[in-house]
Formats: sequence, structure tokens, C-alpha cells
Amino acid sequence: MAVNDDDVCTSKYITLVSNDGFEFVVLREATAISPTIKGMLRNPFSEARTGRCEFPEISAPVLEKVTEYFHYWYKNQDKAVVPDMDIPVELCLEILVAADFLGLDKQQG
Amino acid sequence: MAPPGRIRPVRRPLIAKAHDDFEPCWEILRDALTNIHTQDAGRLSFENLYRASYKIVVNKKGDVLYERVKSFEEAWFRDHIMPRISKLITTNLVNVALVQAEDTSLHERREMGQKFLRGIRDAWVEHNMSMNMIADIMMYLDRAYISDAGLPTVFATTIGLFRDHVLRNTLGNVQQVGQEFVVFDILNAVILDLINMEREGEIIDCNLLRNITSMLEDLYETNDEIPDQKLYLTVFEPKYIDASAVFYRKECGKLLRESDASTWLRHTKRRLEEEAIRCTTSLSILTKAKIEKVIEKEMVLAQLDGFLSMEASGLKSMIDNDRVEDLFILYRLILRVDPSMEPIKATLQNRVTDLGSEIEKTLKSTDFSVPAVGVADADDAVDGAEKGKAQPLNAAAQQTAAAIKWVDEVLKLKDKFDRLWQECFQEDLILQSAISKSFTDFINMFNRSSEYVSLFIDDTLKRGARSMSEVVVDGILDKAIVLLPYLSDRDMFERYYQKHLARRLLHNKSEIDIEKDMVSRMKTEMGNHFTAKFEGMFKDMQLSKDLGEGYREHIRQLGDVDTKKVDLSIHVLTSNYWPPEVMGRGSSQDEGSKGGCNYPPVIKRLQESFLKYYLKDRSGRVLTWVGSAGTADIKCVFPKVPGKESGPLSKERRYELNVSTYGMVVLMLFNDLAEGESLSLEEIQAKTNIPISDLTRTLASLSIAPRTRVLVKEPATKTVKSTDRFSFNAQFASKAIKIKAPTIASLSKVEGEEERKVTEQKNDQTRSHIIDAAIVRIMKSRKELRHTQLTTDVITQLSSRFKPEVSLIKRRIEDLLAREYLERVEGEQSLYRYLA
Repeated sequence: MAVNDDDVCTSKYITLVSNDGFEFVVLREATAISPTIKGMLRNPFSEARTGRCEFPEISAPVLEKVTEYFHYWYKNQDKAVVPDMDIPVELCLEILVAADFLGLDKQQG
Repeated sequence: MAPPGRIRPVRRPLIAKAHDDFEPCWEILRDALTNIHTQDAGRLSFENLYRASYKIVVNKKGDVLYERVKSFEEAWFRDHIMPRISKLITTNLVNVALVQAEDTSLHERREMGQKFLRGIRDAWVEHNMSMNMIADIMMYLDRAYISDAGLPTVFATTIGLFRDHVLRNTLGNVQQVGQEFVVFDILNAVILDLINMEREGEIIDCNLLRNITSMLEDLYETNDEIPDQKLYLTVFEPKYIDASAVFYRKECGKLLRESDASTWLRHTKRRLEEEAIRCTTSLSILTKAKIEKVIEKEMVLAQLDGFLSMEASGLKSMIDNDRVEDLFILYRLILRVDPSMEPIKATLQNRVTDLGSEIEKTLKSTDFSVPAVGVADADDAVDGAEKGKAQPLNAAAQQTAAAIKWVDEVLKLKDKFDRLWQECFQEDLILQSAISKSFTDFINMFNRSSEYVSLFIDDTLKRGARSMSEVVVDGILDKAIVLLPYLSDRDMFERYYQKHLARRLLHNKSEIDIEKDMVSRMKTEMGNHFTAKFEGMFKDMQLSKDLGEGYREHIRQLGDVDTKKVDLSIHVLTSNYWPPEVMGRGSSQDEGSKGGCNYPPVIKRLQESFLKYYLKDRSGRVLTWVGSAGTADIKCVFPKVPGKESGPLSKERRYELNVSTYGMVVLMLFNDLAEGESLSLEEIQAKTNIPISDLTRTLASLSIAPRTRVLVKEPATKTVKSTDRFSFNAQFASKAIKIKAPTIASLSKVEGEEERKVTEQKNDQTRSHIIDAAIVRIMKSRKELRHTQLTTDVITQLSSRFKPEVSLIKRRIEDLLAREYLERVEGEQSLYRYLA
């Protein structure tokens, strides 16, 4: 893709922003599980330039869980036996919607 | 935060108020598409766009979005891209590409073509990038709508537009062409034209070509993107293959007319390399195997015979002139087109056979009467009596020289082909067996090969003992061994080798260590049974040595004074191991030697004493004294010749004469003779009972050869006749004290025609017995067998020893039938049964 290097944020970390302005800094590689975020970062849009991905429709608690999941996945991606991740029951529907939005419904390479 | 335990309902403002949200969302997206195409998307938020398409899809408007995107892109092509492409397609370009008008210069054509390709490439790169971005924005559309609807993905659909709207765009009926054509046609024609330019040595933009071909690899016939339906494979490649075939066909024809095989080989090799490189730099690796096939077919196979049969540079000339590099390239090329090596196998074989027969022919026309240096050295006759004189070699020595020359030449030929095989043919097994077969053929076509090889070894071993270093001898023998497997009549070789070996051993002509080494090498090459006799001979020699020492010790203890005068050294030979000629069992000698030679009394006593000693612990054995094979050292005194006052004759002369045993027996007769008396040949024969042929030879060596003329022959001719008379030569004088009488029989020479027939006859006899044994062996295990099968089995069984003639086998079968080892099965044609 013809994106100038000056325009691209190459930091190891990116920032996820919730609808109420909470920011979550997450390892760039850990977000590779989400095709949506991957798409954001590989195309010459503003997210790729700034390294900030704003999600005006995801609340902070949900985004926090999502961030937690990214790291959980990143840490355990090569392991055969993995611990369960704790999902608060009251959040699970919202998290489900966010996961769909972020394309986490399929196992990504 | 809500208390735990209650699932919070999803707040989905989108779903709630999105029923009439489609148009605003689409507007966002439409503007973004334009921005993306104009490469102005940097300030847009991906999340925003993604969310817009997400909302549309969530609201079940995916189909509408899909169609909108498609028609947007189609419009974009129509309005923005095609005008640019159309501008590139000038009348001139169409002319050059499709009509092949010749009025443009090469440079012009190249620049025009590359400009066009660049235009296409730029449009493609831009399109490809935009489509990737759009596909990412529409990711949710792919996931949630398209996979359910069974449609091609957004990317496949939009990227396919390039194919439909650019490549397959009809530019209408152009007048010069007279037919409809699409951009793709021009594209192909331009690429092919550029490649042909490069083949002619022009420099073109390979990178550009690679861009274009990878574009064709990314595009498919349909939006379903079936892997083997890439446009590169379905449209471009066939055209490329066809065009290349035409190009190379023309080039090969030109080479055949104007050039030689060597140029052709190098050129073809270069073309192959070039095409392989082209596939990686300009085209696709997918094409490599196919384009190589084209070259193989058009450049290698098409005119192969034409090039190979070229008079001055063809295969024959390559072989004859050892053009290693040419042959190497040729081999590699042939390996590509025909791993069975058929095209060069036959010529190679013919060359071996022809060169082989040439050796034989040269041999026949060469005059060996002038001794060659080194060869003359090997000859005992020359050594003993005629050294220093430029006398022509006698017939036998000439034959020996011929034999050595033949083997030398054959070895050289073998070396040559071995080298070619290693350096050019990568030790190809098919060619190896082909070459080997040809060697076997011509070596066995020459009916004296067995004898010649044995003679060659004989000569080397004899000379080796005298003048050559061990390493050199080793090398030569190694080569000689190489020839052995080619001999199909191994039994003949065995017979000759046995004869020659016997002579060398008995006359002490060679180093026993080297002899043993040689035989052990043969053993590895030919198997145990082949060398059994030779090893027996070595054993006899060793036993004889021990025996002789034992006997001398025995005599010393006896203190027998009488034997001091005669020292005995003896070889006790087992008759089975040694050749019949040596053992005095030769057919020509049978008659005369019945009674055995009459030895002088002093010798007789010695023989009896030895026999007594020998039988002491070996009772029951029979010893036969073979006078023809032995030698004797005689000290003799020639008295002062009366009347001579000066010169050697004026004094008494003492010499040590080394003669054959028969020579000694003959000379002893003259001891008893009064001065002036003479004996005729017949008288000598009657007194000694030496076989007439041996006697003639003995007398010849004592009365004709000038250096050892201790007997005077009357008349003084060059040959010995039965009426000749012999007397003591009192005038004999020599500068040397030790004189060796030429032992004519000990010469290893090529047999005369007569002798050869005898050898062959004897060989046939032996073969008959071997065949008999083989037939009986086979029939015993098979009980019943048809004639043809039996014949084949016999041949297989004996193949390691010799190649039996079918007629001989047939005769042996008939013989065995008569002797009732076999019987015919009644009512069955040619079926035999074994009779126990």
C-alpha cells in the first residue's frame, strides 16, 4: 500500500479509545486477532497515522474487556492448554456485539 | 456499573434508529470512495467508514450496498480510467501491435510499447490499492452478507472490474485491423514484441513486464477466482508459448543453415538459461517448465539429427576430437529431451566399434619388422643373440609387438571413452553400458584378443621385473585388468595366461610378488574358479623351493661327494595346474617322448637320488622329468687351439654356458667324442631320444646363433635339417664368461596359425566337457526341458566363462543322448528328459 512512512505511526503500542473517552494502550501485535483493527492500521486512514483507534459505540468497561482479551490471546496464542477468561455476566451481550464488530468471531491466523 | 448477575441489554442506537439511516451512511461511504480513488483518504477515519458499512449490513441493506459499490466503480472506470487508457492506445500503437507494420523503428516501437504498459500498470496499481482499501472498509459486508449470499467477495468483484472494463474493453472496429479487438490483444502483442526484442539483444524494462504479468496473475477469468483460471494462464501464456515456438523454430532453422553444431549447442544452452531467467525477472515462474519444453522441442529435437550428423562439427567429430565441453552440453540437452539417450547412443557405440576395428586394421597394415623402441627391448631373441644389430625382427616377435600395440591402443581408446563418460556424460549408466557393450563387441570381433591381452600382461610383467618401477607396472596392470571383463571367451584367456605364466615362473622372468598381486586382482574381477589353476602354480613353485632346499640339506647330511659336481634345482609341478605344453603332454611331442629322454649317467644318478628323497614321505607319486622345460648351467673348458699364438684362441678358455636341459644332454654327448668326429641329427636323436622338434630347436640354438656357436654344423646353413652333421667347435670364443643360449621355446610370442588352431581345438575340447557338465547339471535339477530352454540355460550358466556356440551345444546334447544321459520324450518335439 502506498502509504508514506512519515504518515504512519510505527509504535509498538496503539491506543484504543472508548465512547466515553477512556484510553487503553495495547500492544500492536496483540490486536492482530481483530481483522477490523488490522484493516484500520494497514490502510492509509487516520488511525494508521495516529495510532489511535476511536470506538464511539463501545463503552469503557466493554473496551477494557476487549483489551484484556487481546492480551490474553496474545499471551496464549501458541499454547495448547489455556486458562479460562473471566467475563462478567452482565457485560456478555455487549461484549458479544463488540466482538462481532471487531471481527473476533472467527479464529484468525 | 450494574450489579452483577443481570445481563445488561445491548444499547444499540444503530439498530434503533437505523431504519432510514441508509442514505446518510451511503453518502459517507460514497465520498470516501472518491477520496480513496483520488488518494486523499488520510484524514478519514476507518472506524467511521467501517461503522457506516456495518450499520448498513446490520440493517439488512447489504445487497443494496453491494450493488451501489459496484456501479460506483463502473462509473469511475468509465469516467476516469478509460479516457486515460484510450489516450495510450494510439493508432500507431494499434498498427504496430496488431498489424505488425514495419515502418516504425525498433526504438520507437519499444518506447511506445513501454509507455503503454506503464499506463496500464499505473492504472492497475492505483486500482489494486483502492480496491484493497475498499474491501477492508466493506469487511463486514463480506462477512455478514456476501458469504451468506454466495457472491464473490467485494474485492474479487471490484478487482474484476479492471478485467471487464479495461482489458476486455472493445475499442470498436479499427479500420487498419478490420476486426474487433480489445485492450488485452494489444497488451499481449506489446509484451511479446518486447520479449522478442530482448531475445535479439535489446534492453527492455523487465520490471515493467513483471508488473504487468503479475497483474495478469492476480486477475481471473471470472469473479469466482478459480486458481487455474488466472488470466496469465488462460490468455497470455498460450500466446507466449506459441510466439516463442515460432521464434525458436526460425532461429533453429537459421542455425542449421548458417552455423555448426558447436554454436548450436552453446546457443541452445544460452537460450535455456535466458528463458529461465526471464521467467523470474519478467514473467512468471509458472511458465518455466513450459517454455523450456518449447526450446527442447524447437531447438533441440527439431533438428537434432541434422546437427549431430554435421560433417565437421557433429557428434562424430566431437568424439574424435575430444570436444569435452560440446559433449557435456549435448549430454545435458539430450538428458532433457530423452533420458534414454537414444539419439547419441547409437553414434557413440558405432564410434567405439569403428575406432576399435580401426586399431585392428592399422595393426594389419603396420610393418612391425622395424623394432620399436621398448618393444624390441622386451624381446628375448633380440636380447640374447641379436642385440645391437638392426636386424628385422622375426615373425614371432613382430606378432608380439603387434599384440602389445593392440592392447595399448585399446586401452587408449578405453581411456578416452572413460574420460568422456566421466567429464561429459556425468557417469550416465545407460551410456556406460552402451559403451561397454560396444567394447565387448569389437574386442570379441577380433579373434585373438584373449591371446593379445595375455601377451600384453606377459610383456609388462617381464619388463617390469627388469626396468620399470613398481608404480608404473601397477598402473599398466590395472588397465589390463580393466579389459578382462570385456573378453567373452574367458576360458581362452585362461589358457593363454596359464601358458605365459608357466613360462615366466619356470624361467624366473618376473617378480613373484607382482605375479601374485596380478592373480589376486583377477580373482576379484573374475571370481575364484578362474584363478584356481594360477594359484596352484604359485603353490607348486613354493613347494618346489622348499623341496629343493630340503633335498640339498639331505644330500649334505649324506655327505655324498659325487653330487657336488651337479647342483639340482627342481620344480615339481602338479600336472592339472600347468599347461600341457609345459608338462610335455603336448600332442606333437607325444610320439617321440614315449620312452623319455636318455639322460647322461651322471644326471640319471642325480634323478634317482632325488626321486628316492621325494618318495620318502610321498610314496605312490609319479615324477616325470620334463626336459623341455628346464635349463642347465654347464662349466666347459675349451682347450688352446694349436697354431694360434695370439688372441683369445691362444689360451685355454673357460665359460659358463646356460642352456636348456636338452641342450645339456646334447652337449654331454660331445664330451665322449674324439676330436674331429661328428654326429648327425639322427644319431643324436637316437642316442638321446629327445623329441625331434625339441632337438631341432636345441641344436639350432647351439650351432646357428653366432654367440653360442659351440657346435659346428655341416653344412653351415640357417636351418637344421635331419641330414646335418654336428661337431665340437674348438674355435669357440666369447668375451663374456657367462653365456646364455637363446632358449627359443621360452619366447612368449603370438602363436602361428597352426599353433592357434591347435589351441582352439584344445579349447573346444575343454569347452565340450564344460558344456556336457552344464547340461547334465541343468537336466538333473529340471528333469524335463525343451531344447530352446536348455540352450538358453546353458548359455546363461556359462556366460561368465565363455560364450558357447549354439551349434556346439546342440552337438553336445546329441552326444549326451547317444550316451544315454538324456532321452527324447516320445511324441513331444524337442523335449528332453534326464536319465538318472
